[in-house]
Amino acid sequence: MGRLTLLGLGNILLTDEGVGVWAVREVQRRWRLPPEVEVVDGGTAGLDLLPYVEERDWLLVVDAVEFQREPGFMGWLAGEELLAGGTAQASLHHLGLREVLAAAQLLDRSPQGVLLLGIQPHLLTTGVGLSPCLEARLPEVVQEIVARLGALGYPPLGPAESED
Amino acid sequence: MAKRITIDPITRIEGHLRIDCEIDNGKVINAWSSGQMWRGIEIILQGRDPRDAPTYTQRICGVCTTVHALASVRAIENALKLEVPLNAQYIRNLIIAAHAVHDHIVHFYILSALDWVDITSALKADPRKTAQLAESLSSWHRNHVQEFKAVQDKLKAVVDSGQLGIFANGYWGHPAMKLPPEVNLLAATHYLQALEYQRKANMIVSILGSKTPHVATLVPGGVSCAVNPESPAALNTERLFYIKSIIDDLGDFVRQVYLVDVCAVGAFYADWTKYGAGVTNYLSVPELPMDTKGTVFRLPGGYIKNGDLKTFTPITSYQDDFFREGVKESIKHSWYEGEWTKHPWDETTQPKYTGFQDKGKYSWVKSPCFYDQPAQVGPLANVLCMYAAGHAPTRKYVEQALGLVSKLAGTQVGPEALHSTIGRHAARAIRCAVFMDELQVQWQALVDNIAKGDLAVCTPYPIRPGESRGFGFHEAPRGVLSHWIVIDSNRIKNYQAVVPSTWNACPRNHHDAPGPYEASLVGNPVADPERPLEVLRTVHSFDPCLACAIHLHDPRGRVLTQVRAL
Repeated sequence: MGRLTLLGLGNILLTDEGVGVWAVREVQRRWRLPPEVEVVDGGTAGLDLLPYVEERDWLLVVDAVEFQREPGFMGWLAGEELLAGGTAQASLHHLGLREVLAAAQLLDRSPQGVLLLGIQPHLLTTGVGLSPCLEARLPEVVQEIVARLGALGYPPLGPAESED
Repeated sequence: MAKRITIDPITRIEGHLRIDCEIDNGKVINAWSSGQMWRGIEIILQGRDPRDAPTYTQRICGVCTTVHALASVRAIENALKLEVPLNAQYIRNLIIAAHAVHDHIVHFYILSALDWVDITSALKADPRKTAQLAESLSSWHRNHVQEFKAVQDKLKAVVDSGQLGIFANGYWGHPAMKLPPEVNLLAATHYLQALEYQRKANMIVSILGSKTPHVATLVPGGVSCAVNPESPAALNTERLFYIKSIIDDLGDFVRQVYLVDVCAVGAFYADWTKYGAGVTNYLSVPELPMDTKGTVFRLPGGYIKNGDLKTFTPITSYQDDFFREGVKESIKHSWYEGEWTKHPWDETTQPKYTGFQDKGKYSWVKSPCFYDQPAQVGPLANVLCMYAAGHAPTRKYVEQALGLVSKLAGTQVGPEALHSTIGRHAARAIRCAVFMDELQVQWQALVDNIAKGDLAVCTPYPIRPGESRGFGFHEAPRGVLSHWIVIDSNRIKNYQAVVPSTWNACPRNHHDAPGPYEASLVGNPVADPERPLEVLRTVHSFDPCLACAIHLHDPRGRVLTQVRAL
C-alpha cells in the first residue's frame, strides 16, 4: 500500500478559515492511523507543500470552501475539479493548492488520486478557534474523513489513547 | 484623456493586492497600491503569553512563516535582554540562509519568470542551439541537448492538452516579450529544474526547524533542537553531514543556473534598467549574527538616501538606536481610525473601512517611513547596502553579474543599472549567491563550535514583573521585517509587525508621498492596457507577498477578478 497525505489547509487566525487544520488535528488526536498516512498541517502554504504531495498514492485535502450552503455543509471535490480552470472560488487557498498540484503534474510526480473535503465556513473574522456552529460539527467532519480513509484502504488502527 | 486600469489581485500566490494605474500615451502617469485585506494579528496577540507570539505570527503569511517566528523571538529576546547561545545563532542562520535561497529560486522561476519568458515561444526553439547557447554561458552539468529536448516535448504536451496548469497565467505572444526561442527554452528548462532544487533548500529548513511549513524549533532564548553529535534523537553528526550534502548540491544551481539566467534575461531586456527605480531610499538590516548579543554580523545592513551609496549609514546591533528611533507608521491613507503617524510601540489598530478614495484612504496597508521618508526594502536594498559597506562577497557577485550582462548586451552596464525593475531581479540572484556561500560558513561555524564541546542551545526564559519593550529585526527574503512588542508582567500589551510588503506596497504617506510600488510604476510603458504585462513586471520584481502585509480573506467576500480595464 502506498502513502497517503491527509492535508489540512487554512488560516487558523481567521476562525472558520482554519477548519481544515483543526479537522486534521482532531483526526490525529482521536485516532491511531496506519504508518502510511501522514497528517500535515499545511496552513496557507503554497509550494512548501510539494514534498507532501509528490509520489503519494492519495492526497486527501481538507479546507474551507465557499459552497453557498449552510455553515458546516460538507462536500467532496475530485482532483480534476481542482486543477480545471474557472473554479477560483472553490477553495480560499485554491491558488496555492492548484499550483502545487500543477507543479507535481509537470514533474510527473502527481499523486495517483486527489480528493478535497470542503466545509462551508460560518465566520471568517479575525480570531483563533472555530465558530460555535462549526465547532459542533467537528466530530462529523472527523467521522467523514475517517470513513473516507477506511474506504480508500487506510482505516484507523484504533482510537488514540485518551489525553482528555 | 488618461485611461485607468485596475489589476486585482496582482500576486500569483497568497495575498490580495490591487494596483490602479492611470495611463496616458502608453505610459503610467499615476499609480495607487492598495492592500485589500486587513491583518488582525496585533489584536489576536494582546493579552497572550509572549512565548505564544512566534507560533501565532507564523500564521500571518503562508509563504514566509519562518521569518515571522524569527523576528518574533528576536523582539522578545530584545525586550527581556536574553542572550542567544552560539549554536542557536548558527542553527538559526542556517535556517535563514536556506529559506532565503529557497525563496529567491521560487520567486524568479515560479512567480515571476513568466513575465519575461514566453513558454509558447520555447516550442519553436532548436534544442541543439539552446544547448550551444547554454554551454557558452555556464558549466551546469544538465545543460545538454537531451534535457532541452525532453522539456520541449513535455511543454508541447502541456500546450497541446489545452490545460496549461501552472503556466495558465502567462501573457503569451505579448509584444513586450523579447526573448529568442532558444533563451525561452533555456529558461523553461531551468524552471522545471528549479522546482526540484527549491525543495532541497527547504529540506534544510525542515531538518533544523523540525518541520515546514511552520518551523517548531525557534523559541525565545535560542532553539529547541538539542545538539549532540552522538545522539540519534538530536541534531547529530549524521544529520549535519546530510545538511552539508544538500548545501553542496544546491550551490551549483544557484551560481551556474539562477545567477546566469537572470543575467541573460536582463541583457535581453536592457531597456528595463531604465524603468521601475521608484523610491531610492534603501533600508536593510544586518543579518546572520555571530555572537550571543547580536553585535557582530556576517552581513552588514543600513540606510542609503536618494540612491547615493556615499550616504550609507550602518545599522550595527540588535540595540541599534538609529533603527529603533527611525521607524514610524502613518495611516493618513489607510483604513484605520484617525490620521496619526506613530512609532510601532505606540500604535493602536482600529480598522475603519471607508471605500477606495483616490485622494483619501484607499488601503489596509499602513505607510511606514524611516526618518519621515518612504524607503524601499528587499534584496536590492540589501545588496546596495552590503555593496556600500564594502562587503567583499557581495562586490564579487555584483561584478560577476554586471560583467556577464555587459558581455551579453554588448555595452558596459554599471551598478547604477540596479536601480530598476530588472535590477531587483539581479539583486535577488546576487543575494542568493551570497547566502549560498553563507550556508557553508554557518555550517562550518556550527560544526566547529560543537567540536569544542559546546552543546548549549537555549537560555532559560525569565518571567519578569512590570513593563518591557523590545524590537526584533530580520533581513527576510522580501526585505526588512521588524516586530515590536510591549510586554507587561509576561502578557503582551502591544504588538506590531512592520513587514517588508508594508514598506514596499504602502499607500501614500502623511506627506502624500507615494510608496515604492506606486513611485516605481510611474513612467512604465504599457503597450496594451488590456494586457498590462509591464505593470506586472515592475510589481512582481518586488516579490509582493500581500498575505503578509494584510490578510487572507476579503471582508466583503469579493470574488477574485483578474484584470479589468476601466
